[in-house]
Amino acid sequence: MKTIVAVAVFAAFSAANAQTPPAGDAPPWKQGMNPEQSQSTLHPFAPHMTGRSAKELPLDKLHAPAGFKVEVWAEGIPEARSLALGDKGTVFVSNRLSKNVYAVVDKGGNREVKTVLKGLNAPNGIVFSKGTLFVAERDKITRYDGIEGNLDNPPAAKVVVENLDPTKQAGHFWKYLAMGPDGKLYFNIGAPGNIVMPNYMQASVMRVDPANGKLETVALGVRNSVGMAFDPKTKDLWFTNHARDWLGDDSPNDTLHHVSLKAKAVPNFGYPFCHQGDTQDPEFGKDRSCKEFTKPALKLGTHIAPLGVKFYTGKMFPAEYQGNMFIAMHGSWNRTVKQGYNIMRVTLDGKGQPKMQPFITGFLTDEKADPPMWGRPVDLLVMKDGSMLFSDDYNGILYRVSYSK
Amino acid sequence: MTFPQTSPRNATALTVAFFFVALPLADAGAADAAAGKQKAAVCAACHGPEGNSQNPAIPVLAGQPAQMIATQLFQFREGNRKDPQMSPMAEKLSNTEMNDLAAYFASVKPVPTAYKTAPQNAAAGAELTKKNNCVQCHGPTLHGQQHIPRLAGQQHDYLLAQLKLFKVGKRADMDGNMTSAAQPLNDKDIEVLADYLAGLSPY
Repeated sequence: MKTIVAVAVFAAFSAANAQTPPAGDAPPWKQGMNPEQSQSTLHPFAPHMTGRSAKELPLDKLHAPAGFKVEVWAEGIPEARSLALGDKGTVFVSNRLSKNVYAVVDKGGNREVKTVLKGLNAPNGIVFSKGTLFVAERDKITRYDGIEGNLDNPPAAKVVVENLDPTKQAGHFWKYLAMGPDGKLYFNIGAPGNIVMPNYMQASVMRVDPANGKLETVALGVRNSVGMAFDPKTKDLWFTNHARDWLGDDSPNDTLHHVSLKAKAVPNFGYPFCHQGDTQDPEFGKDRSCKEFTKPALKLGTHIAPLGVKFYTGKMFPAEYQGNMFIAMHGSWNRTVKQGYNIMRVTLDGKGQPKMQPFITGFLTDEKADPPMWGRPVDLLVMKDGSMLFSDDYNGILYRVSYSK
Repeated sequence: MTFPQTSPRNATALTVAFFFVALPLADAGAADAAAGKQKAAVCAACHGPEGNSQNPAIPVLAGQPAQMIATQLFQFREGNRKDPQMSPMAEKLSNTEMNDLAAYFASVKPVPTAYKTAPQNAAAGAELTKKNNCVQCHGPTLHGQQHIPRLAGQQHDYLLAQLKLFKVGKRADMDGNMTSAAQPLNDKDIEVLADYLAGLSPY
C-alpha cells in the first residue's frame, strides 16, 4: 500500500515539475505543492500573540501517566517559545515572530514576567550558561553577560557571530540554540523553503565557539532542526528535524537524529534528496540514492513537527525516567487528519536504540477541525527541583510537570 | 507510518492547579466582550458605531475574527505595524484589554457598507482571489478565520492601501505570507481586488 502511494505521489510530482515553473513568490510553506494540492485548505496555525487566559482553556483534557501532575506555571508570555534556566532560577522565554525576550522570576510561588530584551530580530534561540544568556536571532548570535543580576537594566549585547542570514531567507529563518559539552553553541540554519536546494550554509546544524566566533558544520542535509540536546552520559548530540510538506498525510516522517561529537566526518542526513533516511524526494531525489546518506535515529510521525528535545536529568520523576528524552510535538498542520500536539517520552534500549511513547496528551481535541488543538508544546526545561516546564506558544503559557507517589 | 493517537493506558486524569499571579503583561481573566465594549467607546470616533466603519480608509472591525483583532493590536503596540493614529492607541493596552476588545468586536454583527463593485470587476475579482490563493487562507467566502481578517465587505480604500503596502514590503506581516502573496499582483490586479472585495457581503 505504501509503495503504491509513493508511486502515485511520485507520478504527480513528475507531472507537476514538467508543467509549472518554480513558484518563487509563493509563501515558503506553500512551496512544493503539486497542482492537485493547489486548492488545499491546509495551513499553518498562528499563535494568539496576546495570549489566552488559562481560565478559558480546557486544562482538564490534559493526560499524563499516573503520579504526574500538569499545572499552569505562568501565563501572559507572548508566543512563549524556547526556554532557558538562569543560575539563580530565572526562566528566560523567547519568541519567534516578535522581538522580545522575557524573564519569569519566581518569588515564592508568585511569578512575575518581565520584558528583558527588546527590539531583536526573531529571537527564537536562547541558552544560559555560566552567567551569560546567549540569544540566536535570525542573523546573529549575541551574548548578555551577567544579565540575571540586572534584569531591569540588562547589559548591552556582544556579538558572538553574525551574517547567519546572508540571503534573508523567507522560510525557516528562526534558530534554536543549545550549549554543547565542548562549550560551543549549537544552532540550526534551516532550508529557505519547503523543498528547495539549500546554499552551502543552509539545511545544517552548525556550532560556533563563543571564545573566538569560529563556525563549524556539525550536520548537513537537515531541513530544519528546532530542538537539540546533549546526552548527559555520552555527551552525544541529539536533535529533532522537520521533514518536507506536501507529500501527503503519511509521508515523510519527521525525525530524531544522533551525532557523536567524536566523529570526524560531518554526517549528511539527506535533505533535499532523501527524507527519513529511506524515501527519495520525488523531485530532488530522482537521481540520488538514500544509501549515501546517514539515517535518522528514529521516525517520529509525519508532519508532527518535533521541536524541543531534552534529557531528563532531575531527581523528582521515577528512576526509570532518568536519562530519558522528552520531545515536544508542535504539529501537524500539513495533514488532513492531525496528530501530535503532545509531549513524547523517548527511551533508549540496551543497544542505544530509541523507542517512543506518549507522556502528556490532550491538546489535540478534534483531529479534523481547524484548528484541531487548543495548545501547542514548544520547548522543555528541567528545573532544579526536578520538575519540568514546557512552553505553549499558541496560548503564551508555561506549564509545570511534577511527580509525586 | 502514522503515529497512533491514543492516550496512555495507565493515564489518569490530571489535577490541574492554578497559580493566580500578578503579571504585568496579562491578567488571568478570560476574554470579556462586555469589558471590551466599555473600552471600545474611544474606537468609534474612527471605526464607526460598534466597529462598523463608515470611512473608506478605516477598516470595519465588526464581526472580524477575535484572534485577528488581538494580533493586529499587538503588532501596533510592539511597533511591528505602525500608524500615526493606531500606534498611540495600542501603546497603552495590555494583552487582556486587547483580548477583551477583540472579543467585543468579534461579537458585533457587521453592517454592509454601501459600496458597489463595478460590474466588470465582479468575475475578474473572483478569479484573482482564486488564482492568488486568497481563498485558501481568508476562506472560500473571504470571511476570514483565526488570525486572518475578513476581506468581504471591508472598506475599499483600506483594502487598496494595505495591498499596496504588502506589495512593497512595508506592511507588517507576522509570518511573511501576505507580503509573498502580494508579489505577483500588479497595480490593476490590486484595484480590481479592492473593488471586488469591498462589495462582497460581510456575512
